[in-house]
Amino acid sequence: MSAPPRTGRRVNGEPLRFRFDGREYLAQRGDTAASALLAHGVRLLGRSVKYRRPRGLLALGPEEPNALLTVGTTPTVIPNVPASQLVLREGMVLRSQNRWPSLRFDVAALLQAGGGFFGAGFYYKTFMWPSWRSYETLIRNLAGLGQAPGAADLAMPSVEHLSCDVLVGGAGPAGLAAALAAARAGARVVVCEREPVIGGELEFEVGSVDGRSAPEWLKAARTELLERGARLLLDTTVIGGSDGLLICHAAPGGLAGRDGIYRIRPRRFVIALGAIERPIAFVDNDRPGVMLLGAAERLLARYGVAAGSAPLLFGNHDRLYAAALRLLTAGIRVRGVIDTRERATVTARAPVERARLELERAGVLCLFGHAVVSVAGARGVRSARVAPIRAPGKSRALDCDCVLVSGGWTPSVHAGLHEGGAREFTEASAAFIAGHQPEWRLCAGAANGRLELGAVIADGFSAGERAAREAGATQGSGSAPAASADGGPNLEPFWRTAAPAGAEKRQFVDLQNDVTVADLRQALAEGFIDIEHVKRYTTLGVGTEQGRTASVLGAAILAELKGEALSAVGASRTRPPYHPLTLGAIAGHRAGQQLRVCRRTPLHEWHEAHGGVLEPAGYWMRTRYYRANGADAYSAGIAEAARVRAHGGVVDGSTLGKIEVAGRDAARYLDRMYLTKASTIKAGRSKYMVNLREDGMVLDDGIVLRLAADRFLATTSSGHAEHMLAHFEHYRDVEFSGADVALANATEAWAVVVTAGPRSRDALRAVLGADWHAPLARLTHMDFVEGRHNGRVLRVLRASFSGELAFELHCRPDGAVALWQALVDAGLPPYGLEALDILRVEKGYLVGSELNGQTTPADLGMDGLLKLGNPCIGRALLGRPAFGEPTRPKLVGLRAVDGRSVIQGGAQVTVAAAPTRSLGHVTSSVFSPAFGEWIALALVARDAAEQGEILVARSPLHNADVAVRVTAPVHFDAGADRMKS
Amino acid sequence: MSRLVCPFCGARELAEFHFHKTLPAPGASEYAAVYERGNPLDDSLEYWQHAQGCGAWLEVRRNPSSGDVTAIRLLGGGRP
Repeated sequence: MSAPPRTGRRVNGEPLRFRFDGREYLAQRGDTAASALLAHGVRLLGRSVKYRRPRGLLALGPEEPNALLTVGTTPTVIPNVPASQLVLREGMVLRSQNRWPSLRFDVAALLQAGGGFFGAGFYYKTFMWPSWRSYETLIRNLAGLGQAPGAADLAMPSVEHLSCDVLVGGAGPAGLAAALAAARAGARVVVCEREPVIGGELEFEVGSVDGRSAPEWLKAARTELLERGARLLLDTTVIGGSDGLLICHAAPGGLAGRDGIYRIRPRRFVIALGAIERPIAFVDNDRPGVMLLGAAERLLARYGVAAGSAPLLFGNHDRLYAAALRLLTAGIRVRGVIDTRERATVTARAPVERARLELERAGVLCLFGHAVVSVAGARGVRSARVAPIRAPGKSRALDCDCVLVSGGWTPSVHAGLHEGGAREFTEASAAFIAGHQPEWRLCAGAANGRLELGAVIADGFSAGERAAREAGATQGSGSAPAASADGGPNLEPFWRTAAPAGAEKRQFVDLQNDVTVADLRQALAEGFIDIEHVKRYTTLGVGTEQGRTASVLGAAILAELKGEALSAVGASRTRPPYHPLTLGAIAGHRAGQQLRVCRRTPLHEWHEAHGGVLEPAGYWMRTRYYRANGADAYSAGIAEAARVRAHGGVVDGSTLGKIEVAGRDAARYLDRMYLTKASTIKAGRSKYMVNLREDGMVLDDGIVLRLAADRFLATTSSGHAEHMLAHFEHYRDVEFSGADVALANATEAWAVVVTAGPRSRDALRAVLGADWHAPLARLTHMDFVEGRHNGRVLRVLRASFSGELAFELHCRPDGAVALWQALVDAGLPPYGLEALDILRVEKGYLVGSELNGQTTPADLGMDGLLKLGNPCIGRALLGRPAFGEPTRPKLVGLRAVDGRSVIQGGAQVTVAAAPTRSLGHVTSSVFSPAFGEWIALALVARDAAEQGEILVARSPLHNADVAVRVTAPVHFDAGADRMKS
Repeated sequence: MSRLVCPFCGARELAEFHFHKTLPAPGASEYAAVYERGNPLDDSLEYWQHAQGCGAWLEVRRNPSSGDVTAIRLLGGGRP
């Protein structure tokens, strides 16, 4: 389909193709979906969310309620992009929303055809039996805006942090004046403008500033700002912000293109975001062809596209006449200007009256004290019915193909409504402006309720001047640009035309959510009085539109129905973000591998090269099992664990947290940090120790090595090193302030290779050589020795996490692979985390899930350690009586009575007689190769946890009830003979 | 209050800091110190750590209603 010839400032004639609902169209580079489709005469762009009424374009900005399109093909789609914000690219695929099977023919719309509109609360009142939930799925399928994407966003949006003295939101006349004033004063200025061009209303309104035409002044202002070092961010919208930080969304290619986020921290923020035109409610005012006047003007100026060939203008202010003349000049046959105000108001102002007479001379019908009461034409306006306001019954039809409506302007104050800001009503412009602001925010221009060009510029300039001064700029700004006075719009509030009661359900207030005058009346009748309640009951002003065109109109009509002043009713709040944006834009680079830190041990490549299956474990990548040992983690883990017990193996323990503690006061300090004393450890010895939280619960456990009289190495669980270091530093700084204690995270300074199994000593002797034979022979359980191997420092600690004879080798990371390989070659095959867990559970060692922040040392069977009475952190609160009660959990072992059944991890432990009363739960369970059956650790109420007791491990998720016998937590080698051999 | 001034690093984004706890009232029992922390409206003494920065532990006095930070003290007696 070829495109009609046209001229517009933003389109450059270069053709591009795109598809809309399966059909190909030709557009020009620079076109948006809205301008291109309207150029082709396509006016039906979507259906409404609730009634499925045909809808077209109302506005030309993010306030557009209905013309929301889905971009892309399943699954990588972006839904809910306003057609006017969607800059076309070659080959783009667009779809309309809220329709099935097609936009022109919608099944759900048929359901509404009988006139049975669903009023406010309809769903909740109707679908009550047997319960709302039985209808929910069906109704949810019909509801909602667009289709959610089914795949991750591939683009990786950028995040840029900026700081400046003055941030100006909006580059219309007020924003530019503010930016100029601030820049002249010497402030560092950043300007964010939502549109790809500066100028705001000056883009199409005729006026002069500083004796120059609007386009010339804009050009000069831009040049001066850039010369003064200001940064102009076009296509960038302030979407929210508080606490002095503004979040701005940059979408240089339109909303469905590559985008990014600016986080801007200014000293002062000038809100000069302009105002949004609002409609007037009349019957069937949602028909395609009813459009805001400003949108039609912008469409013509920018894209050279006419909203229609025979428009009717309808409004309540002076600007209708100048706009009608501009349309006429562009060759559009304006059908009429319908002004709600009386003749005397209009004729009183000479320039307006001159324009009106010119219109009449050109054959344009001008009516005073009249209003549009309804339009005809379901898929596009064919005619409008017009009547005197004083005699609504005496209506007549006027042929037209669109109604361009303008009911006044609602200041864009979204950026000023949070952190204490609230809307305040001003009679002068019948508008809500942002009220009291925190000191870092200022409002200016139309956002501040100013509507006359001269006042807008003066207001912007003084706000910019003040912002710069408050931000510390010292130079003078000079005087404000003088604008030719247009006298302001001389607006008389008018919100809706009179309609018979039955027709009020076709007077739309919120086009995005299908809220009508009838809904507001019903909400009121049902007792929803406050505007915020009405909003939630009727959905007025929710969704992507956030009440930009609807909320003040709705509030005004509510005020009329209640017989109150609009200022008393107020307008509902909005919430950020200002326009819809993808989750990808918010996440920025923090996705996939960059979501969080990923640490690799020095042996990572070795594991990968030897079939290791690496998985994230906290911040670390750890080997779960090696492929050669089984098809999956379950079978490989069993095989690896069995081999460790039979022969031996090596496991990568580099992820172990290591904190070095040094200084004269180190021992005294560690005594406070651990349940048992560190000061009693002799140099060259180590001890298993436990940290408590302030409330007495176990925080972490590990082995503490005393390297010298004033030097310790405290090990922590994998992944806990940073947290434990912060914990250590905190107590050092708070309780040991001034003491001689130095802390350092040595986690990554040492690689750890752990050997375990009966053959580990022989393998170690073979690998380390004769120099090490004597020291190794002297090592008893929990001793360590330091020396050199291959010219590098090596520490060998005899400690065991498997119950086998085991050695922890701490070596420098660059020597780890050689040492590891030598041990493997000496007959110790590698094993992974899965096997390690099996070995630990067999020995009753804590695996991790027992340290759940709710277990005390006594719960975990550490009574022996408690008896030593060391006054450590958390000790005091262990004396609370509840910790001695028989219902406290106790760590026990469990075995299936039948010796076969699977004990599920997480299963609830009960007695058979009371299957719904939980006595505890299974914390870890494994299939033990040593026993050939499932074994488990569990936390079970003390009074039920006597050894030999028969209980039931219930896992409703697996539909499994298993009779279990309580045992000691140590399943294997209770005497620890193997470990000490 | 979207920034805190670290004695070592200067004014930094709040995201770099980690809130630890509100300090107990002076003389509070150990039980009260853990479980009966006040939630004062206008004046709160807190421990924070510049966790994503230099790691310094800080005592921060602030007004939770207004977000105004009135004092920041470095714990541990070090000098910036």
